[in-house]
Amino acid sequence: MKLILQDIWEVFTAELRRVFSNRMTLLVFFVATVIYPLAFCAIYNTEYMHNLPVAVVDESRCEASKRFVHKLDALPEVDVHFRCNNMAEAEQLMRDHRVHAIFYLPADYGTRLADMRTARIGVFCDMSSFYYYKNAVVGGSNLLIDEMHTIELERYAMAGIDGEQASNLVQPVVYDDVKLYNPAGGFGSFFIPALLMLVLHQTLFFGITIMAGEANESRRALHLIPPRLRSRSIHRVTAGRALCFILLYIPISCFVLWLVPRWFSLPQLGSPLTLAAFLLPFILAVTFFGMTFGNFFVHEKMSGVLCGLFFSVLLFFLSGVVWPQSNMPRFWLAFSYLFPSTPGIQGFVRISSTGAALHEVRGEYLALWVQAGVYFITACQSLRFIKKYRKP
Amino acid sequence: MARIARVARREMRRVVKKPRYLILLTLGIILTFTFFATMMREGQPQRLPVAVVDMDGSYLSRRLCHEINATQGVEVVAVYDNHTAARLAMQRGEIFAFYEIPKGTYNDVLQFRSPHFGLYSNPAYLLAGTLSYKQLATMGMLAAGAVQREVLRKKGYNEEQIMGLIMPVEFDTHLVGNPWASYQVYLMTTLVPAVIAFIALLQTLYLMGREWEERTVRSLMKKAGGNAFVALAGKLLPYTVHFTLLLLVAELIMFGPMHFPMAGNWPLMMLACLLLVPAAQCAGVFIAGCIQDPPLATGIGAVYGALCFSLSGFSFPIEAMPNVFNGLSWLYPIRHFYRTYCDVAIFGNGLEHCWPHICALLGFGVLGMVGAAMFARHYRQWERRPA
Repeated sequence: MKLILQDIWEVFTAELRRVFSNRMTLLVFFVATVIYPLAFCAIYNTEYMHNLPVAVVDESRCEASKRFVHKLDALPEVDVHFRCNNMAEAEQLMRDHRVHAIFYLPADYGTRLADMRTARIGVFCDMSSFYYYKNAVVGGSNLLIDEMHTIELERYAMAGIDGEQASNLVQPVVYDDVKLYNPAGGFGSFFIPALLMLVLHQTLFFGITIMAGEANESRRALHLIPPRLRSRSIHRVTAGRALCFILLYIPISCFVLWLVPRWFSLPQLGSPLTLAAFLLPFILAVTFFGMTFGNFFVHEKMSGVLCGLFFSVLLFFLSGVVWPQSNMPRFWLAFSYLFPSTPGIQGFVRISSTGAALHEVRGEYLALWVQAGVYFITACQSLRFIKKYRKP
Repeated sequence: MARIARVARREMRRVVKKPRYLILLTLGIILTFTFFATMMREGQPQRLPVAVVDMDGSYLSRRLCHEINATQGVEVVAVYDNHTAARLAMQRGEIFAFYEIPKGTYNDVLQFRSPHFGLYSNPAYLLAGTLSYKQLATMGMLAAGAVQREVLRKKGYNEEQIMGLIMPVEFDTHLVGNPWASYQVYLMTTLVPAVIAFIALLQTLYLMGREWEERTVRSLMKKAGGNAFVALAGKLLPYTVHFTLLLLVAELIMFGPMHFPMAGNWPLMMLACLLLVPAAQCAGVFIAGCIQDPPLATGIGAVYGALCFSLSGFSFPIEAMPNVFNGLSWLYPIRHFYRTYCDVAIFGNGLEHCWPHICALLGFGVLGMVGAAMFARHYRQWERRPA
């Protein structure tokens, strides 16, 4: 037993030395993990888009239409930049990207309302970004409901129903809208937690593949294994190396997942203990996954980065924070669980953004342990493969 | 010209000798395309899982469940009898929103006491949370309308009068450029070209780095007659053609068989496609020229490139970001591609609208030349250094 620990210790220290003597790994582990989170937080720190520029075409010019335009202008989501005389004018503004939505109140708006018929408001929305659509349509709908209630009350009054009876009739059921998590619906609060976890995943993965590539390139493939242990258990080597990355990623995770969210006021509802318990299998799984991949497939130090970096985009969408897992085709759902990023991101988002306890993320937690176990075995096999086929 | 062809032939021989990376990158692009094309086939997520906390257990609450299930957007996957169970389900990620119907609701409705429903949603998953909230809120509006209609009928109003009373105003919404509000159209039109441009950028850095590391720069320059522009143009040309072809095929599939909306004229869109890959490669040449240490150049390229998805501004609009990013976004070819796409495909605008962005894409050529000049200088220094 003592010998096992001694071996692990030896591999561990050798690996640490290797990490700190390599400029590339230092860049990936200590510079990339600082730059990416800070850059993304700076980009998305505003969280929302206020005052989307819109144009209004009011051909009706009645009291009701003017009230609508006033209320529209007062919305936080949109700002009436232009009041146009006709649709052609407004359309030209939209083509010039000076407005992103047009509200069109037709000439019969006032007469229809006076006739107690349903009046229509045309909304034309620029779909080049979903954010324009969200602001115009969501903001507009809230206003529409408010306006409907106002007009309904007027009409009921004309029909001889007023007071409490009328307001009860207008709202026979009242909806209390509660956004339980990310209450303001901010883009950053949704996007960045997932991204931070992806940064951890990708930097650790690339760091390990760079080391594997370099070992292979310098024709010292076996330098991943200390000379004394070459004839001994590969499990000890794998475990010793993993220990090194766990130690490295304790301060890095603290910075990325705890300090950065704190600085940028991102949601942080989960308890640090839960998070720590959740991160352990995550880091193990990524480490062993990286080792497996690196030893089998990576022959040059930069090839992992070259072929793997664009994959971050896929990993992000595979994780199911954007397109929900409930709506993913089965094949892609199964495929997504090949990567530790999927359960990692799902679990982290729920722990930090919704305050879930370990019990609520048990599916993901279990998946991470299973991945860690399976990839540990494959990582050992990959070392055996190196020993067999890549003689120095 | 002949020298460029000579260098290009040399590069092709290099690829044939070691085709691994080009094949992997091509497969990566195909995978990305297939992934987005198959995963988001629905356009907008349908039948999102939601729940109902039914403490009332009345005819009304059960009917609401049925009616929610009858819509396309959401599906009631569970009915709970207390709030905590629903909240935990939300934390487990099983549901994205739920209705809470308190005890005595039906009685209150019958007696005109305006009972309160809770509508809880989880925008921590922005798309799913917002969509399921929107669906449930619409259902709530309709349910309220149904109650009003019942009452008004009993008061003796006819159907037309009732409609005028309960629906005095309505929106007639037109979504310009993406009439189905399809998430797929919105993502793929920018993300797929962005991935291709990103790969072209990284590969340029990698290729230039390899020439130094394998010490083959001299043979490259010799083939090019000592001209760095010719050397780099010839070296990158085969990849320019390869990635541009992939991009064109992707665009043809998207706007062809996949029926993505295209309001404007094709040639302009094609022009943007033809310029995107060379622009990304020129950015790569510039970085590699400025930073003569290949791994560091790759690292810088990776940081610069990874921000391209954000700074193209297709998801979160640039104008909502801090001002500095507005300027930075001009440094990204994909930003100009996205703007050209918006002009051409969404609004059907012509060159008179998108010329600044086409010019900007052409402007990356200048960056490339500066990069090549730096490369030449570095090469001369390297030649002169004592062996």
